[in-house]
Amino acid sequence: MKKSLLLVFGLFLVGGLFLPVTSHAAQTLKVGIVDTYTGPATAFTLDVLDGFKLAADKINAKGGVLGRKIEYLTRDDKFKPDIGLNMAKELVMKEEVDVLMGTINSATALAISDFAKAEKVPFFVTFSKSDKINMEKGHRYVFMMSEHSEMAGRAAAEALAKKPYTKYWIAGDDYEYGHSIANGVWKHLQKLNPKVKLVGETWWKVGEADFTPYITQIIAAKPDFVIVATGGSGMVNFQKAAKATGFSKSMPFYQHTAIETSTLAAQGKNAPEGVFGTANYLFYYPNTAENKAFVDEFQKAYKRYPKVGALYGYLTANFIAEGFKKAGKIDKEKFIDSVEGMSIASPVGKIAIRACDHQLELPMYFGVTKLDPKYDFLTAGNIQVVPANDYMPTCDEVKASRK
Amino acid sequence: MDAAWVLFSEKVLSQILVGLSRTTILFIVASGMSLILGVLRIPNVAHGSLYMIGAFLAYSVSRLFGGGSQGFWMALLLAPLGVAVLSFIAERALFQHLYKREHLMLLLLTFALSLIFGDLTKLVWGAEYKSVPVPQIFQGFVTIIAGFPLPLYNLFLLAVGPVVAVLLWLFVNKTKIGKISRAAAVDREMVSAVGINVSLVFAVVFVVGCFLAGLGGVLVAPTVSVTLGMDHTLIMEAFLIVIMGGLGNIWGALIGALIFGLSQSLGILIWPQFGIIFPYLAVVIVLMIKPTGLLKSTW
Repeated sequence: MKKSLLLVFGLFLVGGLFLPVTSHAAQTLKVGIVDTYTGPATAFTLDVLDGFKLAADKINAKGGVLGRKIEYLTRDDKFKPDIGLNMAKELVMKEEVDVLMGTINSATALAISDFAKAEKVPFFVTFSKSDKINMEKGHRYVFMMSEHSEMAGRAAAEALAKKPYTKYWIAGDDYEYGHSIANGVWKHLQKLNPKVKLVGETWWKVGEADFTPYITQIIAAKPDFVIVATGGSGMVNFQKAAKATGFSKSMPFYQHTAIETSTLAAQGKNAPEGVFGTANYLFYYPNTAENKAFVDEFQKAYKRYPKVGALYGYLTANFIAEGFKKAGKIDKEKFIDSVEGMSIASPVGKIAIRACDHQLELPMYFGVTKLDPKYDFLTAGNIQVVPANDYMPTCDEVKASRK
Repeated sequence: MDAAWVLFSEKVLSQILVGLSRTTILFIVASGMSLILGVLRIPNVAHGSLYMIGAFLAYSVSRLFGGGSQGFWMALLLAPLGVAVLSFIAERALFQHLYKREHLMLLLLTFALSLIFGDLTKLVWGAEYKSVPVPQIFQGFVTIIAGFPLPLYNLFLLAVGPVVAVLLWLFVNKTKIGKISRAAAVDREMVSAVGINVSLVFAVVFVVGCFLAGLGGVLVAPTVSVTLGMDHTLIMEAFLIVIMGGLGNIWGALIGALIFGLSQSLGILIWPQFGIIFPYLAVVIVLMIKPTGLLKSTW
């Protein structure tokens, strides 16, 4: 009795440690995916994987790439850079993958990026937000599929500069992401609107559960507008506290990804209205046939709306396929040459990867949360599109940062 | 000068109220942990996981009953019970066989359990964020002090804290099991020598402690996003509170939670950029003055 119970628990443990791995087959195009599949980040990374799978399955059904099927292997980095790097090494050395992709942890992405450069393996970064990845530490072998914090900041600044607010307060998660989002907004907002003043700042630890004491403190200072630099589950926690204290009604504030489906769907109709946010993808916008087809396919396969990660994963698979097709053979150097500046059709229109820094050129949507009777959760209204070129660092800026 | 002082004191009062409501959840979770630590001598690393499971169960139960106020009250009733049942199974199947072994074995077991519970949670509820709405009657806020909103739900938490503390006091001091468990904490051989089934007493204490973890999870659910990993944040704080208060001392857990919660909310007022360091600073200061914790440790 005791033994069998232990066995059952043991199986659960083993089952959780290793995610399903596809079988080894000859003559495939191998993509090694290192990402976080344990802990809170899973809320984002599963979308990347499912988006990738959706595209890869479609490509495979049509005969694959250059006669080869796309094969993907996944490894869980458990949000730890050392584990992630080991996984990437294993995928390249032992599994001999042709392309690497992942991960949501910026430190892991930077470690794998260094390794990819040394091994000359193309590496697609799918959810990390550090600008170092393709600015300071950028190189020929790394591609950035998500926006980075500097870009998000600039996009928000572009939109906020058109608003009448002047007295700003900055509050956020006390780690790299929080600070770099806040810096991104603030630096560019000051340039675009010289009248803005910073009244004060608040920083809390990552994973802070109760924002009420921070919010009451900010209310007392009476700024016009608050830039809230939270990430992950902090987005929801802050919105809940903002609603409970009446903060969301009395004071306008901005959070990057406040309008994103992962933040809003979790709260149902109880999310606060009137919160400003930015997002790279919304399943209901743009309202085009291409986007609708993608959403339908994704919903059919996974019984949920695709979030931004799904688009990153979907586009990565498509760029990998198109890149090798254009290269004409499975050659990593030729592949990189052909992906540089390449544009493909996507659910949100034609999308390119910029040649100078390997950054995917997605538009950014700036909007404000509102109730929509069509859905049982809040969506974004008053959407303002910030084109990629308006919020991406210029090629010269990237070049300067790499010196 | 006078006006500035008044504003300052109003701010302080408001932060104290907010800090106290946060203290409630910390106290409930830490007291359960301390109870288990004091009587069973188990540093229960899985305590945070039970708190997380309590929150996820609250989500499911609340959805089952329509997601409204009724859903919340049913969750408050059923989710901690669910956690209690889970912990009872774990205690009977695993823990009871290890009490005679070294503490290290128990510590490893709870660590393994925390990993298993983490994966089970992902298996059952998936990776997406979940949210439990604030029950209708606690939506909105009051302004007890002019200009400073206090969410009604925090007011509710302020009331729950003392109720739980009193019930816990009654359990430990007035019930037979409580008295036996206090005796067993001091000398378990003697208690078992007088013919008391210590194993059963331990099971009850373990379940009560875990019930409190689940209760904490349900109470926190309407204020946060229910997500994988919420166990890690909490377990650190709960451990620090238990150490600060004196290992195994429930009232120590109360004082520890008060110091932790209040130093945080008042720290934010003093130095908003670095508000996060104040609770940890408090822990350091307390342990420098009294390395064994503020109240008598049962270890």
